[in-house]
Amino acid sequence: MPLLEIEGLVVHYGKAIALEGVTLTVEPGELVGVLGPNGAGKTTLLKAVSRVVPASGRLSFKNRDLGPMPAHKVVGEGICHCPEGRRLFPELTVLKNLMLGAYLRDDKDGIAADLERVYGLFPVLRERRTQQASTLSGGEQQMVAIGRALMGRPSLLLLDEPSVGIAHRLKNEIFRAIRDIRDSGTAILLVEQDARSAMAVADRIYVLEHGRVTHEGTPASLADDDSIRQAYLGV
Amino acid sequence: MIEILVYGAVISAIYAMLAVGFTLIFGVARILNLAHGAFYALGAYTVYALTANLHVPLLVAAAIAVVGVGLFGVAVERVLVRPLRRSQLAVLMITLSVGLMVEQVLLLTFGSEARNVPSMVEGAYEILGADISAQRLLALAASIVILAGLWLFMQHTRLGSAILAISQDAEAARYMGIPSDRIYSIVMGISAGIAAAAGVLVAPFQTVIPSMGLLPLVKAFSIVIVGGLGSIPGSILGALLLGYTETLIAFEVSIEWSQIVSVAAVLLTLVLRPAGLLGKRAAF
Ligand SMILES: Nc1ncnc2c1ncn2[C@@H]1O[C@H](COP(=O)(O)OP(=O)(O)OP(=O)(O)O)[C@@H](O)[C@H]1O
Ligand SMILES: [Mg+2]
Repeated sequence: MPLLEIEGLVVHYGKAIALEGVTLTVEPGELVGVLGPNGAGKTTLLKAVSRVVPASGRLSFKNRDLGPMPAHKVVGEGICHCPEGRRLFPELTVLKNLMLGAYLRDDKDGIAADLERVYGLFPVLRERRTQQASTLSGGEQQMVAIGRALMGRPSLLLLDEPSVGIAHRLKNEIFRAIRDIRDSGTAILLVEQDARSAMAVADRIYVLEHGRVTHEGTPASLADDDSIRQAYLGV
Repeated sequence: MIEILVYGAVISAIYAMLAVGFTLIFGVARILNLAHGAFYALGAYTVYALTANLHVPLLVAAAIAVVGVGLFGVAVERVLVRPLRRSQLAVLMITLSVGLMVEQVLLLTFGSEARNVPSMVEGAYEILGADISAQRLLALAASIVILAGLWLFMQHTRLGSAILAISQDAEAARYMGIPSDRIYSIVMGISAGIAAAAGVLVAPFQTVIPSMGLLPLVKAFSIVIVGGLGSIPGSILGALLLGYTETLIAFEVSIEWSQIVSVAAVLLTLVLRPAGLLGKRAAF
């Protein structure tokens, strides 16, 4: 049984249509990548799952309908969203940002364990914990954003372009962390511009264009497709 | 000289209580609350009604006033503001109406003559040759305690962090699972409760009349523009600037001239530095 099931998802922004019937599944523990050009609707897809934009169609998680839930209930169900552009709380410290990710939780010991886990994934955050989030480098801010989402102890992590605008070395560190998170059993829905990196970590890939899924399959099968190679891998 | 120092401190502290609540609910929920002065008046009148008519002990009456007006603020947010919160114009009209409504109800219930509220503490202290009433000193001390308490609450509780988070990035706060609607109600309650506390503290030495909330609303609004809309440190700085300038002019020139300070400060700020002294961006 899939963890997340999306069927015929439609999203409008006023009169403009951003998603026109997207169907997609994520199995437990699976890392699913979503590729697509600018404006294809990738961010909209993740926001619809988080219930931050209104959508029609079927959205179910662990066999429960997400449709009627407000955004804060979705987090309680185990879906945590690391948004496009990081969106840290700029004037709060790194530690407070991380702890806000655990806002809905009351298990003190579990929260402390997850904080250690985040520091284990990104050791630099332990040194930076009392620093204001806005004073961190872009790569470090991305680490805080991922760590903050992990503090909700998700069974599904939504990652929106975690590597955009980040130096090469930090990018590798972030992809290594993404792999670690998946290996520890958390399913991930990863939106990514860097098709090569996404295909290297993902179990399955969807290609989204103009609000529709145009291709899906394993990275290997998509790499065999000439149109995808040209459009996304540039070879 | 010493009078200016102490009276300025008292008036600044009261202004700070009013301005902090006003800026808090704007910074968090984008509610420009024109009923803020009404909360202040309601605080004073609740204490008056409970002590003069029902003979409730003064401190108990004060506590009931603060909590009661806080709950009234929650109700206003929940029932009247929430459905139309997305429209700034609607929020202005709704809160203006609530303010006028409260004033009319006070007028119909208590009449237009000034009411006397007994002091919580009697007597006066002589500080370096100046006589200062104990009630003024209590007002000063209580507002410092209340503002410090608010600061501790914001810095050291989960709810406080959530309030700061929403004011810094409301969408990101939703990704954390923070229920924003509930937080808006709570912040409105806190803001109204602090305004009521200010009304309760000044009632013994201010004229308690139904329209007593108008000037404090104008002052709070002015301070918040000078300090930067949404900035709590800015509103405290603004309160000190305005409180002391007004007191200085009231003593050295005249009371009438002191009332021009806030208006002049607002115009000056909007022309020279629209974001206010400590504001991040222009609010208008
Ligand atoms: N708040 C909004 N209001 C109106 N239109 C929007 C809004 N957000 C997105 N859109 C439009 O919806 C479409 C999909 O946008 P979306 O942000 O989901 O694309 P994306 O695939 O994430 O793009 P990118 O790779 O640039 O991040 C675009 O045409 C965009 O202009
Ligand atoms: Mg996007």
